[in-house]
Amino acid sequence: MKTTGIRSFILYILTAAFIGCMGFFLFELFSDGDNWAMQPYNQHLVAGGQLTWAGSISDRNGTLLVGSEDGVRSYNSDAGIRTATVHTVGDKNGYISTGVQLVYRPQLSGYNPIFGVTTMTGKTTGGNITLTIDSSLCETALNLLGSQKGAVIIYDYTTGDVLCKVSTPAFDPENIPEDIEDNDQYKGAYLDRTISSSFTPGSTFKVITAACAIEHLSDWQERTYTCTGSTTINGEKITCMGQHGEIGLEAAMGVSCNVYFAELASDLGKDAMTQTANEMGFNQAQKLDEIVVAASTYDVSDADENALAWSGIGQYTTLVTPYHMMRIMGAIANNGVPIEPRLVSTMGGASLGNYTADITTGNRMMSEETAQALQRLLRSDVENYYNSNMFPSSLEVCAKTGTAEVGEGKEDTGWVAGYCANPETPYAFAVVVEEGGFGSSSAAPIASQLLQQLAGW
Amino acid sequence: MPDLSAFFASMGHQALYLFLYILRILVPVLTLIIVIKCYRSVKLGRRPAEPVIMLEEVTTHARFPVLYWENSIGRSRSCDIVLPDATMSRDHAVLMRREEGWFIIDTNSKAGTFVNGKKLKPTARAHIHPGDTIAMGSSALTLRQTSLSDLKMKRFSMLGPGQRGASPFATFVLMIIVQMLMAIQCCFAPQEEDAIFTPLPLLLLGALLVIDIAFYLFSMKGLNRVSFEVETVALLFSGIGLFLLAGDSMDVALTQLAAMFLGILVFCILIWFMGDLERVTKWRLPLAVCAVGLLAITLVIGTSINGSKNWIFLGPISIQPSELAKILFIFGGAATLDKLQTTRNLTEFIVLAALCGGCLVLMKDLGSAAVFFVTFLIIAFMRSGSIRTVALACSAVVIGLFMFLKAKPYAAARFLGWRHVWEHINDNYGYQQSRTLTYAASGGFFGTGLGNGYLHNVAAGNSDLVFGMMTEELGLLLALVTAAAVVLWIFYVRSDVTRSRSTFYSISACAAAGILLFQSLLNIFGPLDVIPLTGVTLPFISAGGSSMISVWGMVAFIKASDERTYAVRKRKR
Repeated sequence: MKTTGIRSFILYILTAAFIGCMGFFLFELFSDGDNWAMQPYNQHLVAGGQLTWAGSISDRNGTLLVGSEDGVRSYNSDAGIRTATVHTVGDKNGYISTGVQLVYRPQLSGYNPIFGVTTMTGKTTGGNITLTIDSSLCETALNLLGSQKGAVIIYDYTTGDVLCKVSTPAFDPENIPEDIEDNDQYKGAYLDRTISSSFTPGSTFKVITAACAIEHLSDWQERTYTCTGSTTINGEKITCMGQHGEIGLEAAMGVSCNVYFAELASDLGKDAMTQTANEMGFNQAQKLDEIVVAASTYDVSDADENALAWSGIGQYTTLVTPYHMMRIMGAIANNGVPIEPRLVSTMGGASLGNYTADITTGNRMMSEETAQALQRLLRSDVENYYNSNMFPSSLEVCAKTGTAEVGEGKEDTGWVAGYCANPETPYAFAVVVEEGGFGSSSAAPIASQLLQQLAGW
Repeated sequence: MPDLSAFFASMGHQALYLFLYILRILVPVLTLIIVIKCYRSVKLGRRPAEPVIMLEEVTTHARFPVLYWENSIGRSRSCDIVLPDATMSRDHAVLMRREEGWFIIDTNSKAGTFVNGKKLKPTARAHIHPGDTIAMGSSALTLRQTSLSDLKMKRFSMLGPGQRGASPFATFVLMIIVQMLMAIQCCFAPQEEDAIFTPLPLLLLGALLVIDIAFYLFSMKGLNRVSFEVETVALLFSGIGLFLLAGDSMDVALTQLAAMFLGILVFCILIWFMGDLERVTKWRLPLAVCAVGLLAITLVIGTSINGSKNWIFLGPISIQPSELAKILFIFGGAATLDKLQTTRNLTEFIVLAALCGGCLVLMKDLGSAAVFFVTFLIIAFMRSGSIRTVALACSAVVIGLFMFLKAKPYAAARFLGWRHVWEHINDNYGYQQSRTLTYAASGGFFGTGLGNGYLHNVAAGNSDLVFGMMTEELGLLLALVTAAAVVLWIFYVRSDVTRSRSTFYSISACAAAGILLFQSLLNIFGPLDVIPLTGVTLPFISAGGSSMISVWGMVAFIKASDERTYAVRKRKR
């Protein structure tokens, strides 16, 4: 009997395993429970797929973008504002994966490990969020884009506040078009093109190629190439829009000479180009606050000489998000170190405490000298080469347009990316118009209009 | 009942919500109190660890206290009565109490055992009385009574004054209150027709109370037992599970109630059956054969549900024979001390375990196979004390499992999602686990309210995933108390293990508590992605008739290991 008693200690092994498992589970629950609960399928947060009880989201001026009343989620009463901000705020069904409403669901719905998603009264204690965007500016951007597909993103490069963030095609979250799934007009409507789509950058990428030259070639200021309208590298032709003759960096940037930058990239080589691109944030995960931004890619590891040359003018497999291009422009304006863009300015609520966003500085993207050289080149573009009506001169815009070939029988993608050097209007921007043709005629006017509205004209 | 519904609506949504919230805090607190009270009362109420009789060496007058119902005698230090006599065998004999009095059995000793000068046949038992002399080797012992055995040797009711512990009635009433609180919550579970209140759960409560009270009266008044704690805890959790299920589906709850009734019947029958050890010894082998038979029959005529061929349909009734086979398996494994001493090898039991395990693997019921394996380990170790046997069995199973997975790669797929469920939220490898984690986290400590969950909509939500469902709707607090109660079974069984009337009861109770704990472990931590998911039920809570009956069977083993279960019954005779 005594022996049997002693042997029964074997049960404690099982008990220890049980208690160990329980401890592990509780540890995971307390450290990870918010992520567990905040799943898009969690019907406590979404009734019929929709968020029910949750805090509100407002823009920088206090305009309510979305809020809950009596368990019903409702958006701003103005259809234009609703449509212009739908990608930033998020739709009711959570299809827009980068929407603040989805990403900040724990904060909005007030999850905490003690009460889960419930409260004693059945109502949420979730926090309210204020965004940095200006909804009326977004509405203007939406109207300027019109029926074109594209993306507009503008931020204040001294504070990081994202002021305008619009993606088209957009839709009204309160009146979702019935044909949203089938109509080509709405293709990709659930995608926020400013952060989730990466585009072929075309000539806007010449800024990165130029930066690479400035950092790697001691003779970059004197260096010239001769443009005869095309050049043959590794047996294949790369054509230019014009015949620019013997041309240096500043003029080549101004007239966007393909031959110059193709030859330059070819001379710089894969390693230098890849190094500069990586320093600028290519091939890396990026985030806007908690929102995941699609990675930009620059990969010439399998490229031949010709493809490397193409990559130097923003073609080949190179892809950039408008958000990233804006960030690069912000870094140039800030002498090489970007102020990180931010979208959420404040969060507050019973269970949250209060959060106010700080100004955060990102990793240096380029040396101060390089940034200043690029500042001069981009300013020269606008001052000396672009149509003088493109931007009002007092904004002191520094910019680069681009017209990217996308193939598949599609019209070119129009780009403009830049910033205002005037400290009164410290805005960096990127505008993309799909199938817009020349960036100077499709994207630049939109940027100009919005900068003027921002400047208060 | 439109009037009541309107009345509660007029109370205001908020007030009602708050009221139900308070109930959800109250239930786990009361549950914990009941569980602790029952545990303490059992500890308080049991016999003090004092010898009942003594053995006295005839020449040296050295006294050896006899502490247990079954006592091994020999020179080995592991014996209950150690005699420093080189001429004795290591395990010489077993001195044990049965209904008729004290017996001694020679367990194949070399020198033999003599009672009053008469040599005993090996493994045959001899009745001995106070004053009789037992000679073993060069020692001679006489049986002496102690003050405790003044009464009459036959009586084994050792409950002195003040040792009754708390009255089982108080905790029984508290348990009924918890069941009522659960029923009230259930009345306010969301209805299909948008009504706020439904009286249907009160009918369920009525039926449950009839069972509770009838069971109590039958045990305490009819059979004159002194304790009802084990039954109270079992009824408590059966009731909580019942209303948890009722919040989702009244049909499921009715089936569960019927199964609970049958389970209590099985409990009563098993307690009666185990009352006579001679009867148990006689039927052990046939019962073990029945276990294998049940599983083999399932393999032939069974039906597959969700990939496991472990169901038999008898008209409208479907049963899972593997659940019932667990009870029989324990009978096949446990044994009295004299049997343990004389049949040293485990061959018979290993064959039984291998046959059962083989059938279950062929049924693709890996969860049950794991439960049987752990039961085997517990019994095998308690019988032999051999760590080598346990290690061998473990490695055999690991090798077997490895070869099985190698031969049938699809079976390995079920482990694919383990620790990777968030990559599989929309496929079979992680769907159930991710839903369980999400909804369990959503409930917080106090739950979202009975019937207010969504996990019950997921397949097997109220059986395999029921711990998540409980956490979601009734809160983590109650779920933790439920888990703690399972652990407390182990401590309870362990504390009583040497006081049982035979090693048969000790071993079977340990096996039963082990099954309850291990099944809980698989059920709770599989869906929570701590361990790989296997489909087993949570004792008392999960929907499943066969499981409910089997669990009450396990409780019977635990109850039977308490010597008081049988002691008082005899007092009345």
